[in-house]
Amino acid sequence: MKHDPRTDAALDLTLSEISALTTRATRGAGRSWGEAEEAAEAACWLARAGLDWAGALLEVLQPPEAGADCALRTGIALADAAALSGPPNAQRTINSPCFLLPFGARVADQTGQRIRVTVADTQIVLAPGACPVMAGPGRMSGPAQVTLAPDQQDQPPCPDWPQTHRGTVLATEYARLTQLMMAFTVPTSASSQAGAGAQGDDND
Amino acid sequence: MSCEGLNPMPEARAFRRSPDEVMRLARMGCSHPTRLSFLRQLLRRLRAEGWRFDRPVWEVDANGVGRAVYRAIGPVRTYSLVAFAHDLPPEARSDRVIATAWDATFALFDGTPDAADLDRLAANVPLQEAGRISPRELSLSRANRSVRLFDHVVERLAQGAQPDAAMLLETGYLMRTTAVYGSGKFGAADRAAIAQRPELSAPFQAEMLSVWLTRAFTVDLVEHLARARGGDKAARLAPDLKRALGVGNSTGLGMAPFLIRHPVLLNNWMLAREEALARVRAQASIGQPELADFMAAIEAARANADLWTSAHDIQRAKLADLREGLARIADHVANGWDRSAAHPWDDLWHWGQETLPLEGQEALLAAMLEPHGALIDGLGDCMDADEGTAFAINGAMRMAELRAILQAHYDWALGIDYMQPAQCARFWYVSEDKLEPRLGERHQEPGAERELPLDTGRQAAALWQALHDQPDELPVAHLLLAAPEHRPAVRRAQITAQHPFAEIRDNLIGADMLPIDILRCKLAFFGATRFDPRSDRWVRISLFQDAPYPEDLNGGADEA
Repeated sequence: MKHDPRTDAALDLTLSEISALTTRATRGAGRSWGEAEEAAEAACWLARAGLDWAGALLEVLQPPEAGADCALRTGIALADAAALSGPPNAQRTINSPCFLLPFGARVADQTGQRIRVTVADTQIVLAPGACPVMAGPGRMSGPAQVTLAPDQQDQPPCPDWPQTHRGTVLATEYARLTQLMMAFTVPTSASSQAGAGAQGDDND
Repeated sequence: MSCEGLNPMPEARAFRRSPDEVMRLARMGCSHPTRLSFLRQLLRRLRAEGWRFDRPVWEVDANGVGRAVYRAIGPVRTYSLVAFAHDLPPEARSDRVIATAWDATFALFDGTPDAADLDRLAANVPLQEAGRISPRELSLSRANRSVRLFDHVVERLAQGAQPDAAMLLETGYLMRTTAVYGSGKFGAADRAAIAQRPELSAPFQAEMLSVWLTRAFTVDLVEHLARARGGDKAARLAPDLKRALGVGNSTGLGMAPFLIRHPVLLNNWMLAREEALARVRAQASIGQPELADFMAAIEAARANADLWTSAHDIQRAKLADLREGLARIADHVANGWDRSAAHPWDDLWHWGQETLPLEGQEALLAAMLEPHGALIDGLGDCMDADEGTAFAINGAMRMAELRAILQAHYDWALGIDYMQPAQCARFWYVSEDKLEPRLGERHQEPGAERELPLDTGRQAAALWQALHDQPDELPVAHLLLAAPEHRPAVRRAQITAQHPFAEIRDNLIGADMLPIDILRCKLAFFGATRFDPRSDRWVRISLFQDAPYPEDLNGGADEA
């Protein structure tokens, strides 16, 4: 991917690229493989919904501020428990609440119920299999109090997912995620290169 | 996957092989292409739907530099291979993934490209990984000439003669691709964006179409250069020689982890093939046409095995097994096979199981499927996967059930002592230079702390240990809260419970693991032939040898 980190232009990535970058960056940030796989799935969900997947991911990969829970870990726990205890009814202070939305959507999928997420004065409705519906200013960065509850309001049907499979990322965010990703890579050894054909004759 | 709905045949279930038998690397490393292979599926569709082909752009100079466009025009959509031919100095020619220049570069375009599209592609496709393509492109690839053969063919055609047939057969291709990227790589359309199209729903159809049209380009290029050199006296390549040419492919470790990272997809490939074999074995009789086609398939396999060479010791031994096995099959079919048995194909299969080496058994499988298109071709529709639906972990599953899954599907992994150096000798990692998967030696090389989670057996064994003292009724969600490091193993176990062919049932970090076994299995599903390992971790193969060309399917391409 060509980019110029000196400018903050928006770059366009495919979901496949977002998934690979997120998995590797999450591992590079020291998170477990289980968390890395979940983060990649969540980042793709956010990108499809047109939300700021990269900004939310970078926030998640920072150590959470005192008194705030990690959105990734909280989301994983909520989604795992959904089939056990049904839709949540919880209020917590979450770092990067935007990153909680994909997991709220999974709770909706698993329980077959709409979930309403409230982040300050922004309301998001997550219906099973549907694109999120958001009302309010949409500011979801930094630590914030988040409420998840079954959605009792009579809402119009949630929209289908847009027919797009891309996501944008600012060049500075891309550079930071790439930097994290590189922390997870290993220099290729000479023996590995030799076995991979690096010293072979290519003329057959 | 449920294939039963397509062509209900519940009686076949009793004839299925078990995953414990099928999903071992020693057997997977003997895989042969079948009529369910992806390139065969592509060609069947192109023929059945009456696709047309033309070449609206051919702007290549006498030095072989320029661009060309090959179109495949289907009943609903058109796809175009955009090819760029380059003048590559010999010292720059390399198949390695770190190469930065190639003899030809390609993109498969969604539709018919206009001048602006071609200019955009000309600025990016020759750069490959250093360029950027768009959602209008479905694949990105490059190829290098097989120089000795390429030059020989041009020279002979320019003289009005045909190339040496033996030399042609020995190599089998004029160019070999060194990477064919699809599914969202470098900006291309994501798989999800095209998977609903019937012509692309089977796996790797865009990539196969790209390679098939590339094959036509390689022949057009040698004939063009021969005309440029020889003028009116230049000959065209004789049809039989042309048909025997494929497209080579040079591939390595980068492709191996795919089968491990896509367990549902792997299951669907294997299950479709196993269901196909079971359906054939379940037949109560043999028709004369099926018998004739089966015998022809055995003879074709023997001819192919005779032409198939390798300098690698392991592959040479396998080739000896294969030739011997095919000879024994031919003899048994002629002299020993009881065709009046209650299930004659099953009778033959059991004889093969008891008599043949693994190479011969898997070759027998491919030959048995060959005459049964009506019975099994529909299974090709079952070989894609909606992987998203299998991603969520079922946190309500109880420990007792998870234990039972591990006992049923991971018995191969639980008894291994992974502390033994030989059982954890390798580690998979992502390389710093090309971000490609690589294999390291754990006890000799640094970097094991950054290994990829491809140690599936070791993870399953660690999960098994973690379950030891847990109460039967404890839900998985509670285990993962306390021990989140087991999350990948829990997910794989839950997937495998639903998809029994999802997991390669061997230690993938052991000292004796051969990555080429994984490659051979995957490449056989592509339809690759002449599998020729150059080490234990990279191979050359051929695609589309003996297959029709575009003009064979539509009765004559536009030679504009």
